[in-house]
Amino acid sequence: MALYGYAGKILHLDLTGQKSDAIDTEKYRRWGGGHGMGSALFWDFCKDKSITDGRHPANVCCVMTSPLNGTVVPSAGGRCEVVGVGVGQYPVSWFTRSNFGGRFSTMLKYAGWDGILITGKAPKAIWVDIRNGKVVFRDASGLWGKGTWATQQEIWRLIGAEPGTRNDWQDLRDLKGGSDRDEGKTTQKPAVLTIGPAGENLTGHGSLIHDAGNGAGQGGFGAVWGSKNLKAISVLGTGGIKVADPQALIRARRTVKEKYVTNWEKPDFRAWTRLGGLPKPIVQVAPPTPDRRPQSCQGCINGCRERYSVGYGNESACQETSWYGPFVRKVAKSRAEDTEINLRCADIVQKYGFNSFVLQTGLHWLEHLHEEGVLGKGKKIPSDLPWEKIGTVEFGEKLIVALSTRKDIGADLADGWVQAALKWGREKDLRTGALQFSYWGCPEHGYDPRAELEWGYGSIMGDRDTNTHCFNQIFTTISAAFAFGMTIRIEAEEMVRLHVRKMAPYAQDRPEVLDFSDANMYSEAVAQLVRWQQHYCRFWKQSALFCDLKWPDFYNTNMPNLEGATGSPDAGEQVFWNAVTGDRISLIDGIELGRRIWNLDNAIWVLQGRHRDMVHFAPYLYETKYEKGELFPFYMWPCRDEKGVWKYTDLMGRKLDKAGFEKWKTVFYRLEGWDPASGWPTRQTLEKMDMSFVADELQKAGRLGGGTS
Amino acid sequence: MDDSRDKLSPEISRRRFLQLAGAYSFAVAAGVDLLVPGELLAMPTSEGYLLVDLKKCQGCGTCMMACAITHSGVASYTLARIQIQQDSFGIWPDDVFMVTCRQCEDAPCVDACPVAPVKANRVRPEFGNVRMIDQKLCIGCKSCIENCPFTPVRVQWDFSIRKSQKCDLCVDTPHLGEKGGPGGIQTCTKVCPVNAISFTKIMPDQSRVDSYYVNLRGPAWAKLGMTTK
Repeated sequence: MALYGYAGKILHLDLTGQKSDAIDTEKYRRWGGGHGMGSALFWDFCKDKSITDGRHPANVCCVMTSPLNGTVVPSAGGRCEVVGVGVGQYPVSWFTRSNFGGRFSTMLKYAGWDGILITGKAPKAIWVDIRNGKVVFRDASGLWGKGTWATQQEIWRLIGAEPGTRNDWQDLRDLKGGSDRDEGKTTQKPAVLTIGPAGENLTGHGSLIHDAGNGAGQGGFGAVWGSKNLKAISVLGTGGIKVADPQALIRARRTVKEKYVTNWEKPDFRAWTRLGGLPKPIVQVAPPTPDRRPQSCQGCINGCRERYSVGYGNESACQETSWYGPFVRKVAKSRAEDTEINLRCADIVQKYGFNSFVLQTGLHWLEHLHEEGVLGKGKKIPSDLPWEKIGTVEFGEKLIVALSTRKDIGADLADGWVQAALKWGREKDLRTGALQFSYWGCPEHGYDPRAELEWGYGSIMGDRDTNTHCFNQIFTTISAAFAFGMTIRIEAEEMVRLHVRKMAPYAQDRPEVLDFSDANMYSEAVAQLVRWQQHYCRFWKQSALFCDLKWPDFYNTNMPNLEGATGSPDAGEQVFWNAVTGDRISLIDGIELGRRIWNLDNAIWVLQGRHRDMVHFAPYLYETKYEKGELFPFYMWPCRDEKGVWKYTDLMGRKLDKAGFEKWKTVFYRLEGWDPASGWPTRQTLEKMDMSFVADELQKAGRLGGGTS
Repeated sequence: MDDSRDKLSPEISRRRFLQLAGAYSFAVAAGVDLLVPGELLAMPTSEGYLLVDLKKCQGCGTCMMACAITHSGVASYTLARIQIQQDSFGIWPDDVFMVTCRQCEDAPCVDACPVAPVKANRVRPEFGNVRMIDQKLCIGCKSCIENCPFTPVRVQWDFSIRKSQKCDLCVDTPHLGEKGGPGGIQTCTKVCPVNAISFTKIMPDQSRVDSYYVNLRGPAWAKLGMTTK
């Protein structure tokens, strides 16, 4: 039977033996793709699931695609999921995930592979050259030390891919080291995923980078690859992926463009929707020039990045373009200079393969230490960095180099920022919030857990800063409307209704799940909200690989009834999944599969040592009030007042109550069918999901939950 | 902007010029009647053409994938009749190059097809005279590929069935679900998220290579802050 949407094989790279073999995708089909398949592969291939540092040779890293990759599913065709034990978290590094876009997953599938399972450790630096079914381990000694951009361009040269964009078809037989057989031709460049110096030096900041600006940052997977002596994987494919119902796929794709996306002729530039806008790059500085284009991942409906005529800033967006902003603003003499410094520093981050997210809150902390006289030349925390030049390109580059190469303060920060704070005797900064690393040693995202509950709760019940924006756009849209005096296009009660009507099976038509008022913040309703988000994301976003920034589309002002595409019969997530795979699943079926994947992940965390007693936010979230926002001076969210009336309400000025959160955890564990005393899964829960093999292994480890009451 | 293979003429490559000159000389020397077969003599112009905006494309590849899907039910770059090349590290606007078949007035690929008595890529009025390849007739000789004067070649080689294929403006799209071709729709124009591809029934200037590159950026583009020049 044809496996529609899948290539049919998963590539296993045994780095220790420098051998590769193919695993039948069918064996892992029940997990869907992406994260689900990655977790299942990790479960099967990781010989020691108690490890808590991703640099351990037993760690297994999976780079996984989805059936939707390489197709025209809007804002789902080009994502790629990475899983494995991470690096640099606190108190331990969990089995975790990251995700990047571009064209790597598409090319991998066209080469005939649904994913890559990486085990072992190469005896010396290597890169892996994949051209369709041919997989070759190549010496990377000439690449080690190079930046991510130089590495990719050098690999193109080594393969014989022509530079530039005006090239003829290249026959795979004619490339360097090419095949003897006719495997077709391509006009495309190999898609390369690589690490830079931050990964080579095994720092927790190490990212995987593909093309100019696609990065898997969280999790420290650059360090995972560095520890395995794996510099890069290059893939070039000339095949294709069979689609079960091509007509239905094209029809649904056109429906999104023609119905859910604002009309190009009479555009609503301020449409409230995730999916239905025109390309609007999320670059956090003024554009350097009008001579530019939007740029997107494969299959995207509206690109979120850009390429420019100015020679810098290509493909960096969102956080890479804002981490330095507050400091640049102090020194830039013009808006143009502000843009140039920020974008040039974004380029530096990309080239070093450095996850700049730690600097979003972390650089404020370092500046605070410097201003306090603790950090600097000859100080208690010695640093020769030119702190007086903070905000300049010179300082930005020196900082990134130090943090990427374990030099200066980078030596201590490389293994985790909370660890460094403790080493430097700055435990108090975790209490005052001077260091805002909120959960598992990860930096706060700009969406403070004291205000945006589903973000914080989802992060701490999971494995990292959740970075799932299912509901977060409520905050950004409403707060921006208040801040800039824009029209409130959907009032609070309607906003909540539009969400919950699509939130089966846990919260359908239960508006109280989105009520983040003080009275409701530790409720069963909010627990159901967090469950919905985690389960939805584990499948639809992280396994089917719908883009986090575009999906779910709950509300959409391009539609007369304001209802977005999510779950809709003409362009819902399930419509696309079924058209590509030939399955007949519902949105809820996907969420249920997400629940199973989430349970598998939790079982891995439990084997790593997790217990509910470890599940705590950083102390400042309990001990200090949220009073200063990263983006706005208020944090607007729909809440019910004492009379039950829905209003957009400012959530600033409060802190979390530890006892309240403990009570909430118990509710959450019970709803999940996990032992509330430990947070461990029970046999009953696992067996109902056909996961008795997980229960068996937990029992063997003495870590099976005892009951749910 | 020049994507012709050599600079002899935008329309006729040096190789093709030499081929034609050689054939003419041989014919004259042999006393052959120079009347050309009817289908070559009267190659009617295509009733449609694709135009692209090189400065607008967002590089999502949706046109390529949709093209392959509607024609063959398989998502693929290699089987796409429209090709988008991009260099992530390139400088706008040269970071992206879009190429479609030009549906040449004097189509070398049609001329070159040796299949007889009916060429595999003969133009057919019922299909709007589109230059297309009937894969049931194609013998896989690659003559059409070798004679396309442009870079990259606008005719693709499907190595899995060892036959040529090319843009037919969606005339033969069993998976499109509606009528394609000059009298119907063209998939790439419909799925492109930024409308960087358009269809016209007016033949672009055949003497210029860049006549298929147009400015499709309107007021909305300007409002998004990007150049319309």
